[in-house]
Amino acid sequence: MSAAWQFYISTVLVYLGVDVMACWGLNLQFGVAGLVNFAFIIFQAAGAYTAAVLTLGPATKGGFQQYVGGAHWPFPLPILAAGVVGGLLAVLVGSFAIRRLRRDYEAMVMLVVSLIATSIATNQVGLVNGPNGLALVPKPLATMVNLSPLGYQWLFVGITAAICLCVYWLVHIVTSSPLGRTLRAIRDNEQAAAALGKNVTGLRMLAFVLGGVIAGVSGAILVEFISAWSPGSWLYPETFVYFTAVIVGGSGNNLGVMVGALLVPVAFLEATRFVPQFGPPGFIDALQWIIVGVLALVFLWFWPRGVIPERRRRFPPAAQGEARQPLTSTRTGR
Amino acid sequence: MNTLLSAIGFGIVTASILAVAGVGFTLQFGVTNILNLAYGDIMTAAAFVAYLVTSAGLSVWLALVAGAAFGAAFSVLLNRCLYTPFVRRGTRLFGMIIVTIAVSLIVQNGLLAIFGANFFSLKMARPSSVHIAGMVFTTTQLAIIAIAIVAMLLIHLLLRYTKLGKAMRATATDPELARNCGIATDRVIDLAWAISGALCGLAGVILVMNVTAFTDTTGAQFLIPIIAVAVLGGIGQPYGAMLGALVIGIASELAAAIISPDYKNVVAFVILVIVLLARPQGILSEIATRKEVAA
Repeated sequence: MSAAWQFYISTVLVYLGVDVMACWGLNLQFGVAGLVNFAFIIFQAAGAYTAAVLTLGPATKGGFQQYVGGAHWPFPLPILAAGVVGGLLAVLVGSFAIRRLRRDYEAMVMLVVSLIATSIATNQVGLVNGPNGLALVPKPLATMVNLSPLGYQWLFVGITAAICLCVYWLVHIVTSSPLGRTLRAIRDNEQAAAALGKNVTGLRMLAFVLGGVIAGVSGAILVEFISAWSPGSWLYPETFVYFTAVIVGGSGNNLGVMVGALLVPVAFLEATRFVPQFGPPGFIDALQWIIVGVLALVFLWFWPRGVIPERRRRFPPAAQGEARQPLTSTRTGR
Repeated sequence: MNTLLSAIGFGIVTASILAVAGVGFTLQFGVTNILNLAYGDIMTAAAFVAYLVTSAGLSVWLALVAGAAFGAAFSVLLNRCLYTPFVRRGTRLFGMIIVTIAVSLIVQNGLLAIFGANFFSLKMARPSSVHIAGMVFTTTQLAIIAIAIVAMLLIHLLLRYTKLGKAMRATATDPELARNCGIATDRVIDLAWAISGALCGLAGVILVMNVTAFTDTTGAQFLIPIIAVAVLGGIGQPYGAMLGALVIGIASELAAAIISPDYKNVVAFVILVIVLLARPQGILSEIATRKEVAA
């Protein structure tokens, strides 16, 4: 394989890792807990900015970029900090957005949060360098390991894969545990779950924060890789790409959304890279967005459960379940 | 003092636009129970219709009518051809939200593909300025205020004094019960989409009459104050939205004058957060609370 292709493929693999992580995070919120988080991208953005300023070092007065809280932290710390910031931002947003409101109300508030976050980051230039964003973020470990640019690419693929595994472990534990079952119960029937004594708001908040942490980490990896980040990379429609990926893949199914991440943000958006450019500037981008929108509509119409649907969980009737001692005993006692 | 007065003047203009947009948004939600996140983009589309009309050399009044007619027709069709079929197919609440935001993206990028990423403005006669009680308005702004007052009066008369208005309020409160009482709820819902769509189109045109330039995202950006207005007024409450529009319009223009124009939307957002924390059902809200319980 030629070096150019290796370079390209390793880049796509890192993007895939980031998108898969983000889709798992969104799936935990939307697919499992039923939180329509239209502000998902701002948690990724917050993570990205955190990781960027923590690797860039303190901002110099009169330097070409201005930001707050610069530091030189060694490699894994900025990524962990990004997760923490993503989680804290989720606590902040959740404190007013996740109330016992109708879900569509919640979605609307999230959309506003996303729009307002973009306008604040753009207008407050001192915060994260305004519309120009941050650039020249040093790559992690680049000065410590002595690798060719290509070797470094593959090292980064390895780092991304390792973090992906950790994230998968986390989402798998949550979704397959009683906690996941409760979250799905809340998603499907909030009143019933509340009537069974589940703390509906608290548990939804938990899913929201976990999703925020994952989004933050995914943003951190992305920014460490591409070494630049600006408000243009996290406009609210970007969230919609992740929603489409989750729906196409199979909302509520971790494996499904992984496939969705492969199909929508990676395969589809990469494929259009090879389409010859035509029309005025921006025309292809506009068409791309239209197609993503249509894709979501088509899937919601024909395959609302996605390519790999969420497993329908059936619980064995009491007669077959030997393990269900208490139930059997009441049956014999009757 | 002078800046404050003129800020209040601007606030009244913004409030007028917000009132038209907010009442349309909240009415649609209240009666049809679909949260239409494509609302802002339909506003932009109507603005582009008005742009085409004025570019053809026709008067801006005709552009207003065309924008409103486009908004009404587009909304009815959108509901008939897309939203209702999805609801009938059993798409759940979150599904519907995704459907409306998909429509929003499609409309927005459709406009971008057709018109390109440029700044546009309506071709109008240069307005002259008028001094009223220490505030300065352009004639365009006075026209906007007048349009909004007339629209709000018409909505008030419709809701209070016509059978249709009564039927709409009944459908908003309890669609099942309304149907059982012999109200043709399907027709009421169609008319609600038409009326709110007309308000949406009208709002889109007066929004761009008031700015020097607009783009394909102008309406989507305006969704922030619209949502703040709707939530402040208690969603589904047209009168609440009128009051909310006045509060948010004036507060955001005052903030723009005192702090910085960048904070216009931030003020709307802060009000939204405070309302969500303190009184999520909105300021005028007997029905909204009941719906929340029922949801």
